[in-house]
Amino acid sequence: MEIEFRPEGIYIPAIDLWLDPRTPVGHAWLSHAHSDHARGLHATVIATRITAGIYRHRWPLPEGRAQQVLLIDPGQTLEFHGARLTALRAAHILGAAQLLIEYGGERTVYTGDIKLAEPICGWATEIVPCDRLIVESTFALPIYDFLTAAEAQRRIVQFAGESMAAGLVPVFLGYGLGRGQEIVHTLTAAGLPCAVHGAIAGLIPYYEAEGIPFPGWQPYERRKEETRPLVITPGRQDSLAVPAARTRVALVSGWAAVDSARARSGADVLIPYSDHAGFPELLAIVEQSEARRIDIVHGYAEAFARLLRQRGWEAAAAGTAAGEVQV
Amino acid sequence: MKALALCAEAVAAAPGRNEKIARVAAYLETLEDEDLARAVLYLSGRAFPASDRRKLSVGHATLREALVRVTGWDLEMIATCYREVGDTGETVALLVRRHTAGREMSLAQAEALYEQLEQSRRTAQKVELLAEAFRSFDWLQLKYFVKGITGNLRIGLQEKMVEEALAAATGLSAEAVRGANNRSGDLARVARAARGGALASIEAVLFHPLEFMLAKPLDRVGDLADPAEWWVEDKYDGIRAQAHIDAGRVRLFTRGLEETTAAFPEVILELAPLPGPLVLDGEILAWREGRALAFSVLQQRIARKQVSSKTMTAVPVIFLAYDLLLWRGELQFAMPVEERRRRLEGLGLRYLAPQMRLASHSEIEERFLAARGRGNEGLILKRAGSAYESGKRGGNWLKVKRPYGTLDVVVTAAEQGHGRRASVLSDVTFAVRSDDRFLNVGKAYSGLTDEEIRQLTVLFKATTVERYGRVSLLRPEVVLEVAFDGVQRSPRHKSGYALRFPRIVRWRQDKRPEECDTVERVRELYEASLE
Repeated sequence: MEIEFRPEGIYIPAIDLWLDPRTPVGHAWLSHAHSDHARGLHATVIATRITAGIYRHRWPLPEGRAQQVLLIDPGQTLEFHGARLTALRAAHILGAAQLLIEYGGERTVYTGDIKLAEPICGWATEIVPCDRLIVESTFALPIYDFLTAAEAQRRIVQFAGESMAAGLVPVFLGYGLGRGQEIVHTLTAAGLPCAVHGAIAGLIPYYEAEGIPFPGWQPYERRKEETRPLVITPGRQDSLAVPAARTRVALVSGWAAVDSARARSGADVLIPYSDHAGFPELLAIVEQSEARRIDIVHGYAEAFARLLRQRGWEAAAAGTAAGEVQV
Repeated sequence: MKALALCAEAVAAAPGRNEKIARVAAYLETLEDEDLARAVLYLSGRAFPASDRRKLSVGHATLREALVRVTGWDLEMIATCYREVGDTGETVALLVRRHTAGREMSLAQAEALYEQLEQSRRTAQKVELLAEAFRSFDWLQLKYFVKGITGNLRIGLQEKMVEEALAAATGLSAEAVRGANNRSGDLARVARAARGGALASIEAVLFHPLEFMLAKPLDRVGDLADPAEWWVEDKYDGIRAQAHIDAGRVRLFTRGLEETTAAFPEVILELAPLPGPLVLDGEILAWREGRALAFSVLQQRIARKQVSSKTMTAVPVIFLAYDLLLWRGELQFAMPVEERRRRLEGLGLRYLAPQMRLASHSEIEERFLAARGRGNEGLILKRAGSAYESGKRGGNWLKVKRPYGTLDVVVTAAEQGHGRRASVLSDVTFAVRSDDRFLNVGKAYSGLTDEEIRQLTVLFKATTVERYGRVSLLRPEVVLEVAFDGVQRSPRHKSGYALRFPRIVRWRQDKRPEECDTVERVRELYEASLE
């Protein structure tokens, strides 16, 4: 089965299907709801129920426009243009899924964004054997080796407690979809009600609908001088009503694995936890897939491909210009 | 090293200067004397004391080779990782995490290992020692052990702050600790003496650079309350230098406390016969027919390891003395400027900067113009009766430069130029300091030679932390002197100010980023411009 890696996304001509296209197309598989993967109004969207829900929230359908939405939840199968599509769980953000494509006797898996370790919110990754694997490589360097969910949660709660004990307001930097909710869930479940920035707060209902509790969270009010922990998106520190001298800032991100993240993000404390796989997890995903052929997208694709080739795989950097990756 | 590493990590995460010092002091208090001596050195990013002649001679290539041995990654992978991390010690730590037995390294073991590395003559032997260490010790402790080799902890902790922490931990004044470290260049010895209450016994060590006294800018002549209370000298546009002289031996040090002896053999010959032990403060100048040549001429002599006789003839240099730090083996810091001058004149030097007593405000203007007429930068004023305040910019020396003068700034981003300069990083964004952060204050496009741009491009590429298209964000390392026509408010720059029409005057290779000008200085200039 031929696979084309194009600037606007990954395309499979035999079944006329795009994987996470960046511009509007005919038929699109959306691996998860981050806006660099799920974007634009395609004629047909295939996704898990959760991903489709958040995608609709972010890309409402204009009046008079029609769109076909085909839902496949993990384990479910869809016959599509002569291929058999199966969604598989991916640990990344809520609702993320891999896609198994069976066509002409060949099994191809597209991971989307993924990690192998258990996430704080969401489901664990399920790996099935395949012939060809299309995998991401956001953190495919051996310097990236992240905290487990449990350890990250311990540090989040500890940081909040220590900051408040010192009379300071703990501020967490986390992206709008995924990390932000994981931090809010961790804090509130530990009995630390927090104030949450709009971009993160707006998507909390989707998490609550899946049974993830957020007891006592409040929307963040710009003009109010908060004393509770704040959860905001990176780069928003300057707009806080609390003076910077009264805050301590923690960055919860894969990029927090290196000290220079401090200068770049303005954070005091770094908590290296990601919804992408660290290097050892990525290698494990490749090994467990039993695939012979590996295509590598976004990130350190060249370095990772070179390493896999040295170890006997048929591996290539796919070189799709899929843009910045949300972390 | 475990407690030291944890202390260093906490210092990196601590928000301000005082918090950082408090954390270091709390750690130092827990240590017995010998460990205290080791810890203050390692926290200053040194394996050996500053005045110690021993050198580790462990370069990045040696460290990478040891990493290859231990991790199995090839050099290309290690180079890619280093580019992302931007620090060798941290790269080592992150890469050996899954390859080390994780044993604890005591401070004494670290010291023994540094000594073994120094004593190994062959690179292969050094690689072997490092590889063994990488396999054995805990990764976080290795991070700071290796930072001791590369010489910079990158946790926002300058040696001055370690001095303050040591003072706090031993109940002494920061002034006393700083003075003793300045005299001896041996913080380990200072730490031992501090515990024993014997700081005063630490004497000046010749051939180890002392901190220079620095001048505050005088923006408006009218600000000077009593002109008759000041001595005046020309301010020379050369390389500030310190000459250490004894028994026919001479060593020269720059303001950045780097040795520069080898670049100026004729200066060495000239100074060698002087009676030692003696330390002079002065200026290295390109000199012809009784006057200084432009700095750009002198530049041809900078950073040369060896000088040909042809270059020496083309660009003759002299050492022009203007102050006295050590005389007949005695430190002169506490002597008033008049007494230092008297002794300086008694040395019979061939090149001594003329000094005059000021009388009036209008005389400052006249002398300033006369100094400019001689090709010098401006004036230096020294307060009558004042001591030599080593390492301070305290206001007893003032400098009068051209209106608005210049600022020393650090480069934070570089961009590809256009046309002829499309392949080099010629356009720079620069910043001034605010505590341990750097806040942008402008952008400059011109002023450097093609050769300097080429050299800087190599340096910029090696210090790039992130790229956005044509723009590379850099680790702040390169210091430039920029001239400008004014200061204005700017919402676009993080400092809140922008320099008007900035142009690069020169690349200050003698300055470290933490020595660049501050946001406060920019604010002063801005406020002065409103009046």
